[in-house]
Amino acid sequence: MGKKAIKQIAIYGKGGIGKSTTTSNISAALVEAGYKVLQFGCDPKADSTNTLRGGEYIPSVLDLLRENARVDAHEAIFQGFKGVYCVEAGGPQPGVGCAGRGIITAVQLLKQQDIFEELDLDYVIYDVLGDVVCGGFAVPVREGIAEHVFTISSADFMAIYAANNLFRGIKTYSNKGGALLGGVIANSINSDFHRDIIDDFVERTQTQVVEYIPRSLTVTQAELQGKTTIEAAPKSEQAGIYRRLAGKIADHTESKVPSPLDAQELREWSSSWADQLIEIERRTQRLAVGA
Amino acid sequence: MPINLKTATVESREQRLGTIIGWDGKASDLSKESAYARGGCDAKCGQKARRICELRGPFTQGSVCSEQMVECQAGNVRDAVLIQHSPIGCGTGQVIYNSIFRNGLAIRGLPVQNLHLISTNLLEKDMVFGGVAKLEQSIRDAWKRHSPKAIFIATSCATGVIGDDVESVATQLEEELGIPVIPLHCEGFKSKHWSTGFDATQHGILRQIVRKNPEKKQDDLVNVINLWGSDVFTPMLAELGLRVNYVVDMATVEELAQMSEAAATVGFCYTLSSYLAAGLEQEFGVPEVKAPMPYGFAGTDAWLREIARVTNREGKAEDYIAREHERVKPRLQELRELLKGKRGYVSTGSAYAHGLIGVLRELGVDVDGSLVFHHDPVYDSQDPREDSLAHLIDNYGEVENFTVGNRQQYQFFALLQRVKPDFIIIRHNGLAPLAAKLGIPAIPLGDEHHAVGYQGMLNLGESILDVLAHKKYHQDIAAHVRLPYKKSWLKQKDPFVLARRAAAGSEK
Repeated sequence: MGKKAIKQIAIYGKGGIGKSTTTSNISAALVEAGYKVLQFGCDPKADSTNTLRGGEYIPSVLDLLRENARVDAHEAIFQGFKGVYCVEAGGPQPGVGCAGRGIITAVQLLKQQDIFEELDLDYVIYDVLGDVVCGGFAVPVREGIAEHVFTISSADFMAIYAANNLFRGIKTYSNKGGALLGGVIANSINSDFHRDIIDDFVERTQTQVVEYIPRSLTVTQAELQGKTTIEAAPKSEQAGIYRRLAGKIADHTESKVPSPLDAQELREWSSSWADQLIEIERRTQRLAVGA
Repeated sequence: MPINLKTATVESREQRLGTIIGWDGKASDLSKESAYARGGCDAKCGQKARRICELRGPFTQGSVCSEQMVECQAGNVRDAVLIQHSPIGCGTGQVIYNSIFRNGLAIRGLPVQNLHLISTNLLEKDMVFGGVAKLEQSIRDAWKRHSPKAIFIATSCATGVIGDDVESVATQLEEELGIPVIPLHCEGFKSKHWSTGFDATQHGILRQIVRKNPEKKQDDLVNVINLWGSDVFTPMLAELGLRVNYVVDMATVEELAQMSEAAATVGFCYTLSSYLAAGLEQEFGVPEVKAPMPYGFAGTDAWLREIARVTNREGKAEDYIAREHERVKPRLQELRELLKGKRGYVSTGSAYAHGLIGVLRELGVDVDGSLVFHHDPVYDSQDPREDSLAHLIDNYGEVENFTVGNRQQYQFFALLQRVKPDFIIIRHNGLAPLAAKLGIPAIPLGDEHHAVGYQGMLNLGESILDVLAHKKYHQDIAAHVRLPYKKSWLKQKDPFVLARRAAAGSEK
């Protein structure tokens, strides 16, 4: 019992990029496929797992710490869609305390109480706020926590910068037994040039795109119902894409050390794309006028 | 929950055992509220820890933190180095711990040397940019200067907050240098009681030093978990044909490594030995001797018998016990006469106090009160034979004024007024001056083995006679000093009145 290896995955991305949406859909697809999954939200907002539980907030590990002299981590575990386990690290109010320390404390409490083994899990998926601003936010990529990191990015340059920063963090910990990069989940990809930008970025940083996910109204509708797309629109094309992504993550075995761009390279790379985008814009305008 | 060695960070005492630092009442009531007496436990309270209703006042927690306990344990391993990964202020303890270490070595007849402690001296810029580069440098410096057999790293509040990745540096250098490099997570803010620092050290030793799958067994070797006390265990256990492996303080790294080869593990204080002994049994199959602690006749008899049982030496134990009873009884009888009607007060660590009160009762001294610095409702093994408080009550009766408090002077005054003792026994000497100002002499038990075993009863009796001989000196002090408290506080009968007010306030 409990001797099987638990596959631990961390998903990072810039705030607002669709990280929790995508993560929750991956978790939903994996439980649907019969795996035992725990999603661990590592963001002080504590809303990572909402769509797995009908839009409901759950008390976080750090809420328990605030209220009690000793924390029984079992009290922070809740079940959602098809039995998926949900945990939120939680954290302080904005502007006070230390959110990074909050993540360290929450992860330690769960690990010390052997919760993952006890639940006999197949997958633990950490959904982490993407700007790795301090040591605390890097905890899931360190030795002995997750083995694979995926980063979610759109073709938006700010999102790519955040992904590049994360690659730096991964590189730092890579020779110290930390997690390695599985690849980029390209989100909100609705045109060829979105795809081209991301493809170019992963090529330069020596990684790969795991899946391209288009922006879709189905996702928004599902979110507004407090559900994942897998649950709200199981037969939709979008749900199919999430299932394919989850399948790829389940099959994924070998992650690598990325080659992040340095500041100068990143600047040159983005300005070269800016020129191309202006050209594309001009062409579309000409076409519109011509029509 | 069993001890979890999978994570680098130890679980705090309050998490594992439900440890408290504020309580006031009869010893029997505390015993009843503790986990051992309660037996079963509902799902909410975890497997081990039980909740005792804790008194929480505005001034509850005394100074001393987990990190200091790491200094005085891991820092005292003779051929290792302890790196304090911290701002320099955490290093102030090095001065006092060096003197204790040197004294301890001298008492034990070991070569006297200084502590090998190095601070990484973290500064503002290290807080901002991370301190692991300095840590790496310090590990290399330690290696160059001392060629240690192991390097311990004590974390600090500062590194805990910024989330310095101490583990990865340790892993990398362990591989490179070929010696154990052991992170000990002892951030002061993680536990309200310092004893978590004992556990942090022992956790690291269990994970990275104790030999896994040892090739040989040493059937006559017994691990004795202690601090710096004089060598009373070697002659005692030699009577059973056993050798002593003293750990953790003043041991070598090899002596720590061979713990897994021993026939058994014993302690003289469950506060100190609980984690390591339970871990050795769980992970390495070395049985922990589960018995009352070796104080007074009842405790020492049971302790020796259980060691003998575990190591198959029953006959030898009975013979030794009978001889020792015979030997100490005449002088004990004289001491009882001399101490008749005297009142004593014990103010020490938790399990240790349970033992000392028993010794005082053997000496015929009245003990109506005690202050212990914390209370563990259960120890890690969860075995009721280790229930030291129940052992005290069953064998020596009630202690009317039993207080759990973390060395608060302002409370100590009222505590002493309740029982008006003729003398106090104390460790962590900070409370002795207050007693002296009240005309009460103190016996500072610097050598924590002083009262252990049969001879310990006589030792303590003689110490009481010594200290009572300078009663007059203390009365003179009392006549000439004024306490710094207001009259209203001096009249206050309840030392926990502030805590009770705070509790009443929060209920509203």
